[in-house]
Amino acid sequence: MNTNNNVYTIIYTTIIVVVAAAILSIAAMALKPRQQANIKAETISQMIAASGISSKEDLAKLGNDKILALYSDNIKTAFLIDKDGNKTDELETEVSSIELQDNLKMENKNIASGEPSLPVYVFEKDGAEINVIPCYGAGLWGPIWGYIAFNADCNEIVGAYFDHESETPGLGAKIKDEAWFREQFKGKKVDFDNPDKPFGIIKGGAPEGDASKVDAITGATMTCNGLDAALNTWFKAYMPFLSKKAGAAVESDACCCEGDSCDSNGEGCGKECDHQHEHKHQHNHQEG
Amino acid sequence: MNEDLKKTLLNPIFKGNPITVLVLGICSSLAVTVQLKGACVMALSVIIVCGLSSFIVSLLRNSIPNRVRIIVQLVVVAMMVILVDQVLKAYAYSVDKQLSVYIGLIITNCIVMGRIEAFALGNKPVPSLLDGLANGAGYGLILIIVAFFRELLGSGTLFGFRVLPASYVPNNLVILPPMALIILGCIVWVQRSIQKDLQEK
Amino acid sequence: MAKNFFDKIRPTFSEGGKLSWLHSSFDAFETFFFVPNRTTRKGGTHVKDCVDLKRLLIIVIMALVPALLFGIWNLGFQHSKVFGLGWGFWQMVWYGFVKIIPLYLVSYIVGLGIEFASAQMKGHEVSEGYLVSGFIIPLIVPVDVPWWMLAIAVAFAVIIGKEVFGGTGMNIWNPALLARAFLFFSYPSKMSGDAVWVGGLSKALAGGTPWKGGEVVDALSGATPLSHASLDGLSAAGTSAWNLFLGDIPGAVGETSVIAILIGALILICTGVASWKIMFSSVVGALFVGWLGNVGGVTDIPCWEQLLMGGFAFGTVFMATDPVTSAQTECGKWIYGFLIGALCITVRLFNPGYPEGMMLAILLLNTFAPLIDHYVVSANVNRRLKRAKTV
Repeated sequence: MNTNNNVYTIIYTTIIVVVAAAILSIAAMALKPRQQANIKAETISQMIAASGISSKEDLAKLGNDKILALYSDNIKTAFLIDKDGNKTDELETEVSSIELQDNLKMENKNIASGEPSLPVYVFEKDGAEINVIPCYGAGLWGPIWGYIAFNADCNEIVGAYFDHESETPGLGAKIKDEAWFREQFKGKKVDFDNPDKPFGIIKGGAPEGDASKVDAITGATMTCNGLDAALNTWFKAYMPFLSKKAGAAVESDACCCEGDSCDSNGEGCGKECDHQHEHKHQHNHQEG
Repeated sequence: MNEDLKKTLLNPIFKGNPITVLVLGICSSLAVTVQLKGACVMALSVIIVCGLSSFIVSLLRNSIPNRVRIIVQLVVVAMMVILVDQVLKAYAYSVDKQLSVYIGLIITNCIVMGRIEAFALGNKPVPSLLDGLANGAGYGLILIIVAFFRELLGSGTLFGFRVLPASYVPNNLVILPPMALIILGCIVWVQRSIQKDLQEK
Repeated sequence: MAKNFFDKIRPTFSEGGKLSWLHSSFDAFETFFFVPNRTTRKGGTHVKDCVDLKRLLIIVIMALVPALLFGIWNLGFQHSKVFGLGWGFWQMVWYGFVKIIPLYLVSYIVGLGIEFASAQMKGHEVSEGYLVSGFIIPLIVPVDVPWWMLAIAVAFAVIIGKEVFGGTGMNIWNPALLARAFLFFSYPSKMSGDAVWVGGLSKALAGGTPWKGGEVVDALSGATPLSHASLDGLSAAGTSAWNLFLGDIPGAVGETSVIAILIGALILICTGVASWKIMFSSVVGALFVGWLGNVGGVTDIPCWEQLLMGGFAFGTVFMATDPVTSAQTECGKWIYGFLIGALCITVRLFNPGYPEGMMLAILLLNTFAPLIDHYVVSANVNRRLKRAKTV
């Protein structure tokens, strides 16, 4: 048979391509549910790692089903907010139909255009609420993203988790690999008084006592700058929501933090006050 | 025949190793050798892709129109690579995330296309399959050796388990791509001092 | 007397002698102490006069001595300043001396050990090239670098940078710089930052050891003007141009004092050992990019101050001019030097991650030196061909 004539060649290539396409589509359809479950479980385990309910190492040992179950057991509510911090939509949290807003790249664009639809995941840990929000941005080589967990009043960070697609191992990849980097976010605050740059990752070490700055990683300047920009962009987008929550908390606490009446107030309230006093004390110490 | 098969299987592992002797597939061997786990998965993927696409092309070898043979080969290889990628995404998500781009880049790995052109087009399916598998294995072997040193010296771990004492200070240079090239160079060095006929006069 | 000793023991090492397998080592020691019996013939194509390679290297080492002596004093001076000890002159010198000697021991024992071993293995003569590299290495690394790190870096530089390519004279990159680059990329935490350049400081910070007077913050703000200059300008670093010129600032042992380096440069140029063209064009290149940076508003550091900062002066005088790794053709030297200076300042201005651009600039241009030479030569050939045609 003459395999070189035109008709044969065209028919042959067409058949090959169609067969290949058919095989690939069947494979893709068959594997899709599993792949999506993987992605969902990965996103959820990053959130849970940030919230401190479980560690990433422990989560990695669990199967997808267990991670999804863990999520729906611990979540209180999940919803979307608009740019003014108003709730626009609820996200499903039932284990069989968990909804996530995980297209962070899209939202990153929407933040810039002013029409974001940002997710807030409210977990419950030891009776207290934990608000987890995402962030997303460009690292040195590819996208970097993460989840930041706030306390119930959104005035203190209680945990963070970061991931990346292709940062340099041993340098930029440390934002994910090095526990100390994540740990230093604990207890930090978003600086509501500085709306242009509410948070900072500082090269060469954050100034001591500054509650909204953390240390950058030596040798990973570009990745840290990227993360710094990502955090600031997203914190700014969430600012209305966060400050509303924090503002509400201050109002309800105001009773006990003014003057000496503090001691006579309820226990839960007193705790808050002690904490704030401690901070003030630290500040004085710094200045002195 | 038996002797031939043996040669087909063993030659690419050491004597005619695609990386150290033919110097093919260097790019991916620099990129995926930071950790042993990634290197092993990559090695396995290349073995499968290389073996199966050689097999398929060899089956089709008498019917492929000569003028478009490269395109047909490419379609076959690309199909295999995408299949492997999809399977990894479904069953080994964490590894796939690490390797992401490089699995896709197996398509452009010269070893795969090279073996199809040089061997599968002119041989029966079974020897072609073996040749593909053996070449993939030769590639994988080097990958694993390089990854062994890089993970050991660069992180002090093997397969993620700490082997060197905590007092070991990890060497960052080993994690950067240039060191993979240097380790590769050392492997070539060792091989050439064992196998004198490879040395250029 | 020593000469007699060598003559007496020579037969043991020459062919057929008891220790003939050690003859390369013997040769090396003998020629180190005496001018060998056979120097390069007069009129050879590869040397300018009948001075042999070993004497040439000795001149380079002599040129390095001022920088070394100053560095030793400066080590003690910085230590005393940061810790508020108020030491006298000799105390400072003694401190620097004690700090630097182990670095030299490590550098020479490891480096020469490998040189000797590989010469023995190949049956070559031991070449003396490492004498200079080994002398430079302690001058360009942080004084507190752990000895084992230095040992690994030296081994890497000598084996991968030199022996693999065929030993002295065949290497592509300057071995001393390669050792530093290895340290820089392998252990960035020990090689960059403010604390590493003052003896004892990083250890004191890590251990929380208290010291007399002087606050940590004060001590740190004075450290490494280079990394500060690239961020907030020189004056913020509390260092004047005069300090930079004199060299009483924290930094690698050999590279702080521009005066001491200039003395070395004078020795090198007067004896014709190093090429003044490379030094000059490198300075021009640095000034050019520094000036562009000023005009373009990238930096407010005057371009001439760039010449005084960091390892620029040291690199230009002692490392860019390394005859083995630099360009060989006369025109090539101009291009090579200019690109080194230009690239160094470019890296400084545009990559805050690597405030010390000199190392990267020289290594990169080392790589390209043969290419530059190739094109210079082929341009020359073409020009002459054209001339031949027109005549």
